[in-house]
Amino acid sequence: MAAPVDKVDLQARRRAAKIIHEKFKGVLKDVLSGKPPRLIIPKRTLANTRFDPEKGILVMGEDVIERELLNMGEARRFMQTLLMASIIYQALIENEYPTIRDLYYRGKHTIVYRDLKGRLREENTWDEQSESDAVIRDVEVFTGLLREDMLILSKEKGKVVGRMKIRSGGDVIDLSKMGHGAYAIESTPDLIEFLEVDAEFVLVVEKDAVFQQLHRAKFWDKYKAILVTGAGQPDRATRRFVRRLNEELGLPIYILTDSDPYGWYIYSVFKVGSIQLSYESERLATPKARFLGVSMTDIFGYRSKKPYLSERERRNFIIKAKDVDIRRAKELMKYSWFQTPKWRRELRIFLQRKAKLEIEALASKGLRFLAEKYIPEKIETGDWTE
Amino acid sequence: MPRRRRDTATAKAVVAEAPPRGRRQRSKETYREISVAEFFAKNRELAGFSNPTRALYQTVRELVENALDATDTHSILPVISIRIAYDEELEAKYGNPKKWFRITVEDNGIGVPPTVIANAFGRVLFSSKYVIRQTRGMYGLGVKAAVLYGQMTAGRPVEVVSSMQESDYVYLRRLYIDVSKNEPKIVEKGQWRKKGRWHGTRVTITLEGDWPRARSRIIEYIKRTAVIAPYAEIYFETPDGEIYVFPRLTSKMPAPPKEAKPHPHGIDLDQMKMLIKRSNARTLLQLLSNELQSVGTIMARKFLEEIGLDPNLDPKKLDNDSLVKLVDSMKSYKFRAPKSDHLSPIGEELIKIGLKRMFKPEWVDALTRPPRAYQGHSFIVEVGIAYGGGIEARNEPLLLRYANKIPLLYEEREDVTYKVVSGINWKIYRVDFPAPLVVLVHIASTKIPYKGVGKESISEVPEIESEIRIAVQHVARKLRVYLGKKAREAEARRKIITISKYIPEIARSLAILSKPPTKWNPPSEKDEKILVDALVRLVSRNVEVPKVPGLDHSDPEKIVRSVIENIKLE
Ligand SMILES: Nc1ncnc2c1ncn2[C@@H]1O[C@H](COP(=O)(O)OP(=O)(O)OP(=O)(O)O)[C@@H](O)[C@H]1O
Ligand SMILES: [Mg+2]
Repeated sequence: MAAPVDKVDLQARRRAAKIIHEKFKGVLKDVLSGKPPRLIIPKRTLANTRFDPEKGILVMGEDVIERELLNMGEARRFMQTLLMASIIYQALIENEYPTIRDLYYRGKHTIVYRDLKGRLREENTWDEQSESDAVIRDVEVFTGLLREDMLILSKEKGKVVGRMKIRSGGDVIDLSKMGHGAYAIESTPDLIEFLEVDAEFVLVVEKDAVFQQLHRAKFWDKYKAILVTGAGQPDRATRRFVRRLNEELGLPIYILTDSDPYGWYIYSVFKVGSIQLSYESERLATPKARFLGVSMTDIFGYRSKKPYLSERERRNFIIKAKDVDIRRAKELMKYSWFQTPKWRRELRIFLQRKAKLEIEALASKGLRFLAEKYIPEKIETGDWTE
Repeated sequence: MPRRRRDTATAKAVVAEAPPRGRRQRSKETYREISVAEFFAKNRELAGFSNPTRALYQTVRELVENALDATDTHSILPVISIRIAYDEELEAKYGNPKKWFRITVEDNGIGVPPTVIANAFGRVLFSSKYVIRQTRGMYGLGVKAAVLYGQMTAGRPVEVVSSMQESDYVYLRRLYIDVSKNEPKIVEKGQWRKKGRWHGTRVTITLEGDWPRARSRIIEYIKRTAVIAPYAEIYFETPDGEIYVFPRLTSKMPAPPKEAKPHPHGIDLDQMKMLIKRSNARTLLQLLSNELQSVGTIMARKFLEEIGLDPNLDPKKLDNDSLVKLVDSMKSYKFRAPKSDHLSPIGEELIKIGLKRMFKPEWVDALTRPPRAYQGHSFIVEVGIAYGGGIEARNEPLLLRYANKIPLLYEEREDVTYKVVSGINWKIYRVDFPAPLVVLVHIASTKIPYKGVGKESISEVPEIESEIRIAVQHVARKLRVYLGKKAREAEARRKIITISKYIPEIARSLAILSKPPTKWNPPSEKDEKILVDALVRLVSRNVEVPKVPGLDHSDPEKIVRSVIENIKLE
């Protein structure tokens, strides 16, 4: 593909390619000097995931696995890792943007060999995409490069609108001029250049529908904001984008989800990273993100704080928590980033009341209530949970 | 079958005439004595002749065993021919085709003295094998049971043609057994001058049989005989004209068994009385040290003193109480174990030869245990195990049971050998069923503790059971070593392939990765080749290279290359 490539893109490519090339030099040297080659890869397991309180994110521990060519059980994965790395490497050099599905197809072919009786046998380099996806993750942890860094595309899910201009692929895009639509956060968020920013904070909403409602109400215009949604569980690009907004522009990040353990977990993914894929956190997590609501104290009030819902509304809107919710909440309580006094209070009230609330319940009080009272008031009074 | 029909008719008549139950009077009980011939004629299933199938099988067996006893027991390399043929004459007479058989077995053995032929083949419980010696025959019944069955079903006499080694004549006898008197009734006699130097015996018995059903067992029996006697030459012709030939594989034969004196542990009161009667020992001391095995003068004196009997007593004057005391104390006294030089085990060598021929296994081994004794009878257990190769995988070991070189085919599950072998945890020995495993167990003894006179299964004598177990375990341990080695080799083979097959792919990937990102140009074939060569060298030097038939092991690189050679990458 010989598409005209802009400077940011080229820089990213060169950087990633160089790192890959350097990383595999060791293997090359071993092979040429007759030393059994091995890849030393940080372990991507739950047991090797820990919370770094200083950085405020999940990080990988010290455990590594050694993947040796001369080990029967590892030879195949060794081959796969090199194969995947070479495909990504070549794509970077040749200015391509493969998707993970492309990588799967490019690498998938049949290895023909002979057994010791001389019979021809066959084996695929990989069979399912899940297999090649796992190899991509290996390449990521081995090189320390995320797939976004290696310009691998995945499905776009996140959206953004707001008072800001960006440059992407050479085009300048005004995020305040998207009509009823929104800008889809691209899979290579690092290639986005922030141009003019006229916003004071970022509001990340869990639900796409709420995003659309707030967008049409021009919430972001009125309150000088950037509005983002991950549409449920946020993808990597959205998380990286949010992180950059916070890190590079210094914008505070407020997260708005349902008032239930699932919503809290989405907040947790934005803030510290996903527990399964801690190796990405270093680049994807936003440790300074704040949970705006909906909080338990918004529903029930606390001491001097008055609840946003009346007795009657509570009766109508509250959903009884299920056993899985209770279990999830108890699980969250164990994580250290849910150990702050405010979070402890949230979880305690939840376990006492066994009550959940969807954000749509607030919207049903009138969109204006949500957009013009609830959100601004909470931000102004500092009523978030961290 | 006319005879059987008559049987049923009489049986019915008896039932019809029987008076109502309870009214029969005890005083009408009649008493009479029957001859031993009549007993076996009436209870032929005891000797293994329960139906036409078994009868055909059992007849072959009795004749073959006598033939082998007449040869290898006397250091003659056996040449045995067996022929089963349809008897067309009887077919023509009775109709009923394929039901009448003539079984002829000929051997090159010592022959039977002409004066003895009639009794040997016509008098039940007449035998030359009532001595303490390891022979196949032991009861003096076998061939007579077959003769009886033949005359009762086909109505034909047995025909015997025999000549002894040193004799100038060949003798013919055709005879029936007079059942009520247990006597031979000769119907034809003949004798000729020998032209050549032939010696041996040819026996022909005509009887009713069921070839289709007996076929597989008979063939199996003969095959198994060939396994245990690879020094024999065996011909077998079936009624359908198939011919099986088992050529002699070796002229090594087990040493012939010798006759032994009784051992003190195995003697009972009656035997002791007989011994005293026959012996010309003047003192108890002489009696014990001369007539018994494993008892020397010193031992005999010590023993007699210990039990308080005067060593100088005349044995003929012993009173009954002292006799009982003598025999009883002997049973528990620590004499030396029975001698075993009169036993004739087959030997590890021959067992292996026999198993190899019959099964073409990939592995075989055998063990002959040292002699042991039970109840005063010495015995030796031998075990052979064959694995893999031509052996069919089964869910259980294929068990070949032998007693005094006789293959045992029926009543497998009642046999002590089955009990032991099926109780072994083969997993320990790396055998996972279904597996191609043959276990041969031979028990040689001056007295085999058969469960019945049909000689099909052996009783659970603890001493024998434990010897079998020890022997099987011993050989099985060697099998485990072999299978372990084989597994390791297979593992090495798997490993070399598992790793080598990825070489081209890795070389190609590495060639790409090795090109610096700036000044990029795609790797050439030469780049890849350098890496392939390096990887081949690396793998062949660092991974154990297995032995591969047909490949040069001195060059491990060749083996690695053979996996990836001449294959184009996709
Ligand atoms: N083929 C033969 N050659 C030489 N002698 C034979 C032959 N067949 C039978 N005899 C003699 O006839 C005798 C009787 O044989 P028979 O089979 O009835 O009894 P056995 O072999 O002694 O004992 P068993 O009942 O256990 O078979 C034998 O002991 C043997 O002396
Ligand atoms: Mg016999």
